[in-house]
Amino acid sequence: MSETMLIFGGWVAAGLTIFLFSFLYKDNPFFKVTEHLYLGAGMGWVFQTVLFQTWKPKVWEPLQAGDWTVLIPTVLGLSLVTQFFPRISWISRYGFTFIMGYGSGLVIPLTISTDLLKQIGGTIAPFMVSEISRANIGSLINGSIVAIGFICVLFYFFFSVEHKGVVKKASNIGIYFLMLYFGAAFGNTVMGRFSLLYGRFDDLYKYSAPKYFYATHVILAALVIYFVVDHFRKKKPEIEEEAA
Amino acid sequence: MTLIKKYIPLAICFLVGLMTLASYYVPNKTSENYLEVMNKWENIVAGFAFLLGLFSLFFSHYNKIRRKVDGWGYSLFVFVGFLVMVVPALMSHGKQMDGTSLTGLGWGYRFMFNALSGTMFSVLAFYIVSTAYRAFRIKSAQAGVLFAAALVLIIGKVPLGQLMWDKMLGWTHLGVTQIVQWLMDVPVVAGRRGIMMGLAVGGIVTALKIIFGIERQYMGKD
Amino acid sequence: MKNFLEKLLKIDRRLIFLALAILLVFPIVKPLGLPNLNLGSEVKSLYERIEGLPPRSFVLMSLDYDPATRPELHPQAVAILRHAFRKNLRVGILTLNAGATGLIEEIGERIPKDIAPEKVYGKDYVILPYQPNPVAVMTQMGMDLYQIYDKDRDGSPIRDMEVFKGIKNVKDMQLGICITGTAMLDYWIAYTGDKFKFPMAGGVTAVSQMGYAPYLQTGQLKGLVGGMKGAADYETLINHKEKGTSGIDALSLAHLMVIILIVTANIMMLWLKYL
Repeated sequence: MSETMLIFGGWVAAGLTIFLFSFLYKDNPFFKVTEHLYLGAGMGWVFQTVLFQTWKPKVWEPLQAGDWTVLIPTVLGLSLVTQFFPRISWISRYGFTFIMGYGSGLVIPLTISTDLLKQIGGTIAPFMVSEISRANIGSLINGSIVAIGFICVLFYFFFSVEHKGVVKKASNIGIYFLMLYFGAAFGNTVMGRFSLLYGRFDDLYKYSAPKYFYATHVILAALVIYFVVDHFRKKKPEIEEEAA
Repeated sequence: MTLIKKYIPLAICFLVGLMTLASYYVPNKTSENYLEVMNKWENIVAGFAFLLGLFSLFFSHYNKIRRKVDGWGYSLFVFVGFLVMVVPALMSHGKQMDGTSLTGLGWGYRFMFNALSGTMFSVLAFYIVSTAYRAFRIKSAQAGVLFAAALVLIIGKVPLGQLMWDKMLGWTHLGVTQIVQWLMDVPVVAGRRGIMMGLAVGGIVTALKIIFGIERQYMGKD
Repeated sequence: MKNFLEKLLKIDRRLIFLALAILLVFPIVKPLGLPNLNLGSEVKSLYERIEGLPPRSFVLMSLDYDPATRPELHPQAVAILRHAFRKNLRVGILTLNAGATGLIEEIGERIPKDIAPEKVYGKDYVILPYQPNPVAVMTQMGMDLYQIYDKDRDGSPIRDMEVFKGIKNVKDMQLGICITGTAMLDYWIAYTGDKFKFPMAGGVTAVSQMGYAPYLQTGQLKGLVGGMKGAADYETLINHKEKGTSGIDALSLAHLMVIILIVTANIMMLWLKYL
């Protein structure tokens, strides 16, 4: 690909980024166009990925080689599309029930093993004889806090019993553990989002270089000029109305 | 007709679900072969499931253009964006690189999809900050605990925060990273584990309801 | 004074946006150059795990992130890859996220250029194509991976590739690392880690990091790299600073701004309430 196309690509990337950010100031046509472009481009990307990495190697090529068994899942998959035609939408049930049956069947044993048994095991582990015999007091204290917190959080989420007396006390302790979890999650969320923003600004800084003919500066300046002109354009009829 | 429209699909769900569940606990060549076939089929069916979202989007925007509702011009750009990705993909047969050079598809990914996708999610950062300023009010002990945990995380994760902590609170011989580590290893584990348990039990119950045909909303109306 | 404080509490949020933008751009233009002092123990766990693997061990890397989470996760992937190649490990790269294929192409481009120019495709590493339905793929990987992956992303058969010598399923592999901005790591833990006793580690966004603490505690995850800080920690451990390190340097001022804003707003609220 030529250098010109790469530079043009830099302008396109900087422009799309700045147009999306322009919504922070005010809704405007540039943002709306870019937003709709994103919808289409996202779908287009997934479509071509599925076309060349699933349909072609897993359906088309086996059919050409004479493997007709792939027709069964293909028909089930295509049946999903009948959803859009009310008269024959019942055909889509065959595809959906296959997906739901398979998914539900897989989820049960694995949730029991990973999210129930292993987690209960992890809570009990610090109190095993082999752990206690290592005489690690810190580990024992931390394990006790985890166990107490875990049980109290479960009490908080147990709504079949009225929260009063001991249940209420346990539930209140559970809330504090949840607050610590949510506070830590909030702190991490702040960092996560800032990281994404840093990534975009880093790209904009890259496209502001002379190599890209100061794309970021030019597009930003053009947008500012647009907002200023638009502001005065909208203000003029108001002044004329008042004068009238 | 009810047999074909309702009972056979429910029977498929029941049989596939039960056999998939059973094959996990039956260490037998037959159950392994069954799972292999199901995995291959599921792979193909999932590839078609994406078409639902695609057609739904296209119908919605096509109707806007046809009826010329307010802002219908913007809907044209949905199709433009779609074609900008798909046409180069068809020309390059799905390849993003041609040797060491970018193809049209690679260009579209690098300079359009990258920018659009990255920016959409990063805009949230601005709203987090403005909402934190306008709405984060410490009006109770619980909110205070939440803020304390957030404060430690926010400060402890960046070099400047770590330096400031060491300068102001270094005399306690307690580093901010130690506190962050303790938070992650103890109270966060307790809180998260409780939530995971609840979700796990709910997930298992819902899966059983789907297999036994009690939960049928995904089938739509009769 | 009361009016002033009330006006300040209702300040136009666009001014806050502008302040945040300035505080993020400034360190990009003029880096603060602060050292990344304290490293997370869960990152060290993954580092030590890879350090302890014998040469030519097989590491499976599932890169399931898209451009939306690229700034946090791409540096993690690059740092871990660099380390794996330095230890002369075989690496299999795959993705279960349609949006990640382009980023994997970039990695595929960078490996022969600067990550590990001495490594040979097909002998030391391989890149597998995208597959939909992650659960089906993971379940199959535990039995016979060639039923799902018979060709690489370029369409070449993989069964006879030197990189796959002695590998039939995940039980023949020494470590799996999933780098993702979605719940994909949960699936890897459930459908391969727990089911087939396959050692799993992860790289996740900072937003999701807290949710994996229970898995670390039970040992279901052998290590976890969380967010840009995790990437910076890993870069420090392998002594090769890149985007992760420069990133958290740039975030310092922005983080401080958030704390100052929350504390200031609450002080003003108390002032208005009681004075």
